Order: sequence, then structure tokens, then C-alpha cells
Amino acid sequence: MRGLRRLSVALAMTAAAALSTGGLSTARAATPERVQVTGEIIDTWCYVTEIMFSEGTAHHQCAVWCAVGGVPVSVLGEDGEVYVVLKVEDDSANVGNPRIIEIQTHEVTVDGDLYERDGVKYLIVTQVADDQGVVNLTHEDYGIQPFGE
Amino acid sequence: MRTATILMAAALAFSGTAAQAANEWGIEHEEKARFEAKVVDILCELTGDCPADCGAGSRQLGLLKDDGTLILALKNFDPFAGAVNDLIAFCGQRIEADGLLISNPKMPLFALQFKRPVGGEWSRANQFGKDWLEANPNRGKANQWFRNDATVKRLIAERGVFGIPGLEPEE
Repeated sequence: MRGLRRLSVALAMTAAAALSTGGLSTARAATPERVQVTGEIIDTWCYVTEIMFSEGTAHHQCAVWCAVGGVPVSVLGEDGEVYVVLKVEDDSANVGNPRIIEIQTHEVTVDGDLYERDGVKYLIVTQVADDQGVVNLTHEDYGIQPFGE
Repeated sequence: MRTATILMAAALAFSGTAAQAANEWGIEHEEKARFEAKVVDILCELTGDCPADCGAGSRQLGLLKDDGTLILALKNFDPFAGAVNDLIAFCGQRIEADGLLISNPKMPLFALQFKRPVGGEWSRANQFGKDWLEANPNRGKANQWFRNDATVKRLIAERGVFGIPGLEPEE
């Protein structure tokens, strides 16, 4: 009963916080899961649609194009899951964010909050714990995607 | 009579009021989709961190359907570009979206091809290219923006096409 009351208070506070942001939003804050993800920074579109080979050095240039073009960037986790990055530490810009573009194709380990909604895993990165740089050397097998130059 | 019909069809096509229809792109799991939805800031929708203007173009936007489904609008009609420039003008508003819903088991995506305010006129989802061209009037055509963009050129010049300084393609 006590736990239920705490939950009710928390839900009420969440609702109040959402309403206080103005009439525009009807957003409901969900409860995230704390996670640590290790994987490669990828372009979400090319990877998910499989329109070309889209990992590592072979796809680095295209991944930069897409990130600059505002396509969402993700971490392809070692678990094979795609984590769409919505925020990095205190920076909530996630469209063409120079900081994210700078680490495109890097192998990273990040701590963060995971929100799952309608089949998509969204990641709020609270800390970049490790950055190994570009280590996935795929160009010898796949050349330069997608145009060969 | 036939000429009149053709002229009428042409007028409709160029007026922007004709019904648009998504183009197939040959992507596995793609399906043409047209639906009404509210344009939302995804970070806001998930966390309650909600700037009044959806982040003014700095945040990824989604399409919130009446049944509560949040769709990630990930791509537009321009090459290598997202849909934020097409949707930001409709922050918090309902639109009709037309495009491809890609129900890949990895995750679902939506490629926006046309959009209109509910009851309004259709327009092609190629705002990124238009905005890029306006900001870069002397850097070439919009459909080649990725080859001429200053940020892209700097990054590739510094790190090469493979992202590793000094690692160059074989001649």
C-alpha cells in the first residue's frame, strides 16, 4: 500500500512536470532502464533497411553524410540491437550534432537510460565511458559504400 | 475533350492539391502508408523534457498516431537526409503523412515522402535539400549536397573516407 502511494505520488509529479512545460506537450514520461551498451556508432537508416553494407570503415563516409543530413544515429550493440541515440550527456541536440558526427563509426561503451517504445530502443547517453575510435576494418571486403569512391 | 482532361490532370499535378502517393523504394519489409498523426519531439515524448518549439530542428521528431503509436520519422525524400526539416514547421500539429513504413524486425522505420497539414496541400518531403541550397547557394545542386557540404568535406579531408587518418583507398 505504501509502495502504491509512492508510485501514485511519483506519477502525479511526472504529470505535473510534463504539464508545466507548456500546453504544447502531452508527453508522458516513461521509466527508463539503466544500461551499459558497447558497440559501433552507425547510421540507422542504412543499417536497418540493409540497402547497402553499413558497418565499419567501408561505410564511414556514408555514415557521415547521413549524420550531417540529420538521419538518426544509433549504437549497434554487441547484442545485435539498435539503440537510437537521443541525447549525449547534457546535450539534447540529436540532429546533425557535431559531437555525435565526430565519433561516427567509433567503437564506444556508453552508460545511459533506455526507453523502449513501439519496437524502437531509444538511448539517453549519460556518459561515454570508452571510445576506441574506428576499429571495424571492413573496407577490404566491401570497398567504399555505396558508390565505390 | 481529351485535351481538356490532360490539361486538368496537369493542373492538378502542379497545383499541389492532387492526392500524392508514396513511391516504392524496393526495401525489404516496406509498405506504403498514409496516416494522420501529431508531430512530436521524441525526447520530449519519452522523458518529459519539452522545449516549446520541439527543439527548433535540433531534435528528432516522431509521428504520434491517435492510438498512441509513436513512429520514428527517420528519412525524407532527399538523399542521405532525415525528415526533421519537413516536420519542424508542424511541431505539435496534426498532419497527414505519406511514405513508406518499413517493418524490419530490427526496428520499425518511416520514410516520409509527402506531407500536408490536415485538409491542406500536399508537398514533397524534400525540405532538407531546399534548406541546404538556400544556406549554400554556390555549392552545387541540392541532390548532391552530401558531396559539397562544408562539414562533410572537412571531416573527410581530416580523416579520410574510412574514418582513419592516413588510411587511403588503393588506386
